[in-house]
Amino acid sequence: MGRSATTKDAQALFHSLRTAYAATPNNLKIIDLYIVFAVVTAVIQVVYMAIVGSFPFNSFLSGVLSCVGTAVLAVSLRIQVNKENKEFKDLPPERAFADFVLCNLVLHLVIMNFLG
Amino acid sequence: MAGLKSPTLYFFLLNLISLLPLLAFSFSPDHPTDRRILVLLDDLSLKSSHSLFFSSLQSRGFDLDFKLANDPAVAVKRYGEYLYDGLILFSPSIERFGGSLDMGGVLDFVDSGHDLILAADSNASDLIRNIAAECGVDFDEDPSAVVIDHTSYAVSETEGEHTLIAADDFIQSDVILGSKKIEAPVLFEGIAHSMNPGNSLVLKVLSASSSSYSANPTSKLSSPPSLSGTAISLVSVVQARNNARIMISGSLEMFGNRLFRSGVQKSGSLHKYEKSGNEQFITELSKWIFHERGHLKAVHVKHNKVGETEEPPIYRINDDLEFSVEVFEWSGSSWVPYVANDVQVQFYMMSPYVLKTLSTNQKGLYHTSFKVPDVYGVFQFKVEYQRLGYTSISLAKQIPVRPFRHNEYERFITTAFPYYGASFSTMAGFFIFSIIYLYNK
Repeated sequence: MGRSATTKDAQALFHSLRTAYAATPNNLKIIDLYIVFAVVTAVIQVVYMAIVGSFPFNSFLSGVLSCVGTAVLAVSLRIQVNKENKEFKDLPPERAFADFVLCNLVLHLVIMNFLG
Repeated sequence: MAGLKSPTLYFFLLNLISLLPLLAFSFSPDHPTDRRILVLLDDLSLKSSHSLFFSSLQSRGFDLDFKLANDPAVAVKRYGEYLYDGLILFSPSIERFGGSLDMGGVLDFVDSGHDLILAADSNASDLIRNIAAECGVDFDEDPSAVVIDHTSYAVSETEGEHTLIAADDFIQSDVILGSKKIEAPVLFEGIAHSMNPGNSLVLKVLSASSSSYSANPTSKLSSPPSLSGTAISLVSVVQARNNARIMISGSLEMFGNRLFRSGVQKSGSLHKYEKSGNEQFITELSKWIFHERGHLKAVHVKHNKVGETEEPPIYRINDDLEFSVEVFEWSGSSWVPYVANDVQVQFYMMSPYVLKTLSTNQKGLYHTSFKVPDVYGVFQFKVEYQRLGYTSISLAKQIPVRPFRHNEYERFITTAFPYYGASFSTMAGFFIFSIIYLYNK
């Protein structure tokens, strides 16, 4: 019965992940949702390019980079805001959010220029 | 004191100077028919025995200059300029021309674009054979051989050796032989020649029938003749790449009054013609040789963008353009529009990207329109036209083609809309996210 043991283990693992995740604070969950949205948009664009071909390559790069860039910035925001993170204990979360906003502004400026 | 006679004499002499331009009224690109022709004869009696041919030429406006072939005053060139526009060599037995003319001189004359009629017969000399060989036509090497045909000879009262042949295997070309069909066979008595089938410039105008052969009539044949059948050509023409026209005939008698006037009955056929086809054949062919017919010129090459009238110095890829050219044919006295449906233009850069047949308005104007291909570079509009019996047209006009300027592309590319959408949705997502994050309890 090894097979059912592994499935049972997988189920147990999954269950513990879910309960652990439910314990995270709400603002972090919002950030996670935003990251998932950005990554899914990027994957859709890559699949589209694989079908149609990379004709306006600059537009493709611009679209993918906007998704990947906001995902990266959101991840860094999550790191800085997470209270369990010892490294950024002294960083006020407002400061982290302000950095996030400024970086996003620069990112979108670049994206709009490169979009063609 | 020889000077001042009277003012009136001076005025008279001055007025004569205004007639000088008439002296230049000879062969020129605007007036392609030859004018002055040098006729070299073996024997001055040819002037009377071939008088019908010569008088038909003179009545068409040609200026004939008769000279004996070994006359020391014979010259086609003086101080680098040619004195004649055409040459008729009715001197088959001449070994060496008199004066300054030699085989090289005759070939230079043809190479400079002038026309030549060469007639040989059974006593043709090496000089005449060599001139013909340089023009692409090889006479039978046996000096005593003539064309014999036992099934297509001309019926006559005396039983000859069947060397007088009635030939009717003409080339199919209205340009060369005229639009009126030659009904009666042509009488021929002379030597055979052949040509290299790979030579595309030489045409057989009158071929011998398949039962003819070239041999000595008085001796017995010991081996099969080297020239026989339809490989034998009786009359050939050569149109050189510079549009000089040469006619080579194996019979001098063919041009003479005796055969012009004689009736002809081909052996094996019951029909007897009152007059042989010689006069019509020779007259029409001489019209073609001396550029009274079949001479084309293409002028006024024009191209422009559709909707504009002036010629731009450069085109852009994917432009629409129109092209037109006018083609005229010389009718002997004036330029008339040439009408055909197979003139083509190529848009050429190392290989033709566009090849279109031009449509005509029946008045000599040929036009078409097409789209410039999606390739940039330096192209040429090329009109290449070579048809049997006509002078060749070879025009090329260069035009560059450039790619799009950076602001000539479409503003928004349709295939990129998902990317535009994704970027804007990321921006909107960021905005919504920040509101939710800030005001989340």
